[in-house]
Amino acid sequence: MTALTRILHRAEDGLLVLLLLAMIVLAGVDILARSLFGGGLVWIPPLLRVMVLWLGLLGALLATRSREHIAIDLASRLSGPTLRRVLAVISSVFAAGICLLIAWHSNNFVRFAWEFGDIAFGRVPAWPLQIIIPISFALMGLRFLLQGAQDLVAKPEGESR
Amino acid sequence: MSILVPLILLLLALAGAPLFAVIAASAMWGFWQADVDLMTMAINIYQVAEMPVLVAIPLFTFAGYLLGESKAPQRLVRITDALLGWMPGGLAIVALAACALFTAFTGASGVTIVALGALLVPALHKAGYKESFNLGLVTTSGSLGLLFAPSLPLILYGVVAQQMALETPVSIDDLFLAGLLPGLLMLFALSAYSMWQSRGLERDQHPFDKAEAWAAIKDSAWEIPLPIVVLGGIYSGFFAVSEAAALTAFYVLIVSVVIRREISLVKLPLVMRDSMKLVGAILLILAVSMASTNYMIDAGIPEQIFSFIQQHVSDPLTFLLLLTLFLLVLGMMLDIFSAIVIMIPIILPIAVEYGIHPIHLGILFLANMQLGYFTPPVGMNLFIASFRFNKPVMTLYKATLPFFAILLLTVLIITFWPGLSLALL
Repeated sequence: MTALTRILHRAEDGLLVLLLLAMIVLAGVDILARSLFGGGLVWIPPLLRVMVLWLGLLGALLATRSREHIAIDLASRLSGPTLRRVLAVISSVFAAGICLLIAWHSNNFVRFAWEFGDIAFGRVPAWPLQIIIPISFALMGLRFLLQGAQDLVAKPEGESR
Repeated sequence: MSILVPLILLLLALAGAPLFAVIAASAMWGFWQADVDLMTMAINIYQVAEMPVLVAIPLFTFAGYLLGESKAPQRLVRITDALLGWMPGGLAIVALAACALFTAFTGASGVTIVALGALLVPALHKAGYKESFNLGLVTTSGSLGLLFAPSLPLILYGVVAQQMALETPVSIDDLFLAGLLPGLLMLFALSAYSMWQSRGLERDQHPFDKAEAWAAIKDSAWEIPLPIVVLGGIYSGFFAVSEAAALTAFYVLIVSVVIRREISLVKLPLVMRDSMKLVGAILLILAVSMASTNYMIDAGIPEQIFSFIQQHVSDPLTFLLLLTLFLLVLGMMLDIFSAIVIMIPIILPIAVEYGIHPIHLGILFLANMQLGYFTPPVGMNLFIASFRFNKPVMTLYKATLPFFAILLLTVLIITFWPGLSLALL
C-alpha cells in the first residue's frame, strides 16, 4: 500500500516536472520560430494549451496531497480541536464525493470521444488528451477519502501527547 | 428545497471545504435540476485546454517562484536602494517600489512578504523607523503592484470577462494599460506617507553614491533586461501576454539555474512542484467555475439579481458604494483568484447594466481585493506577516491601520473616478 502510493507520487512528480520543462522549451521554440522564420510550427500552440490542462490537474493532485487547496479557513481558525476535526472529516468526504462524481461523468465524456473518434488537432485523437480529467479527479477523490479517514481515526491534538 | 442546497453548500464553504468542490457541487446541482447531462462538467473543464492566454499562468507563476527562491530579491533591494535611497524617506520608498515590482511579477500570493519582508524589515529598523511602521509597510506592500502588468489577477480577470462575451470587449492589454495610473496613485500615496513618517530620521538619508549605483547595476545585470523587455514588450503591444510569459520563464530558468547557479538541479523540481500546486489550485477553481458560470448565465441569474437590486438602487454611484462595501468583506474572506472566478460572472453583467465600463470594474475590483489582503480581522497577509515576523496578529492590525486608511482613500478615488483607469486606453 505505502510502496504503491510512493510509486504513484513519484510518477505524478516526474510527469509534472517533465511537462513543465517541455512547456518552457516548446513555448520558447515557438516564439523563436515565429520571430525568426516568420511562421511557427502549427502543432505547438494547441499542444501547449493541452499541457496547461495537464499541469493544472497534476498540480491540483499535488495540492490535494499536501492539503493546500484554496478554502475559506475561517471556521477552523475559530473552532476548538474537536469541532475542527469534525469539520475536516465532513469537508474531505464532501470533496471526495464531488471529485468521484466528476470522475465518473468525465469518464463517459472520454468514452464518447473515443467511440466517435474525436480529433483534437492535426491527426491527434482527443481522448488520450482528455483522459487526465477522469484519472486526476478519481485520484483526488480517493485522496480526499483517505484524508477523511485519517482525520476520523487520528487522536485530537491535545490528547496525542 | 431550492434554498436548502445552496445554504448547505455555503455552510460547507465556511466550514473549510475546498472551494473548487463547493463550486463544482453548485454547478452540478444546477445542471441536474435543468436536466442537463453532467458530462457537461467535463466539457467545461476541457475548456481550460482551449484558451491560449492560460499558457501564461503556469509560466509566470513558475518564473515568480524561481525568482523568489534565488537571490534576485536581495539584488532588487540593493539596486532600488542605490537608485532611490537618497530621497527623503528613501528606504521606505525603496521597500514600496521593490515590493510593487516583485508582486507584479509573482502574483500576490504572499511570496513578496516572505521573500522581501525578511530583507526589508531589519533594514528599515536600522534606518531608525518605528517597528509598527516597518511591519505595516511590508504587510501592505505584499499586495501592492497587483494593478501592474503582468500580474496574474489582471490576466485572470481578463480571461473570465472574455468568457462572458460582452458588447465591450475586455482585452488583457487594455487591462494592463488601465491598471497603470491607479497602481501609481497607490504607490505615490504610500510614498508620500513614508516621506512624512521619515521626517526627523537622520540616519535614513544617504547621498547618491555613483560607485555603489554602478556596482549595483552590474550586480543585477542579468535581471535588469527582464522588466524592461517584458513590460516594454507588453505595453508597446510587441508581445502577447503568453509570449511574454514564455520568454520570462525561459530566461529566468536559464539565468538562475545555468548562469548564476543559485538554484541547484536538486532544488529545481521542488520549486516546480511548489509553483504548480498554486497553478493547480487556481486552474481547478477556474475550470469548475466556468461550468457554474455557464449554468448561471443560462438560468439568467445575473438578470434576476439585477432586477432585485434595481428596485432599491437606482443610480450607479450608490451601486458603486454598496459594491465597495461588499468587496471589502469579500476580499477578506476569499483569496483574490477565487473571488475573481466566482464573483465576476455575477457582478460584471450587473455593473454593465449600471453603465460601468468592464475595464474600470476590473481595476476597481482588484483594487478592493488588494485592500482585502490586509483588512482586519482575517485578511490573509496579516497572518502571513504574523507568521513570518513572529508577531501577534493584534500587533499587525494596529501596524497596518494607517496604511489601510490611505489605501482605502485611493480605492475610493479609483472607484469613483473612472477616468483614472480609462485615460490611457
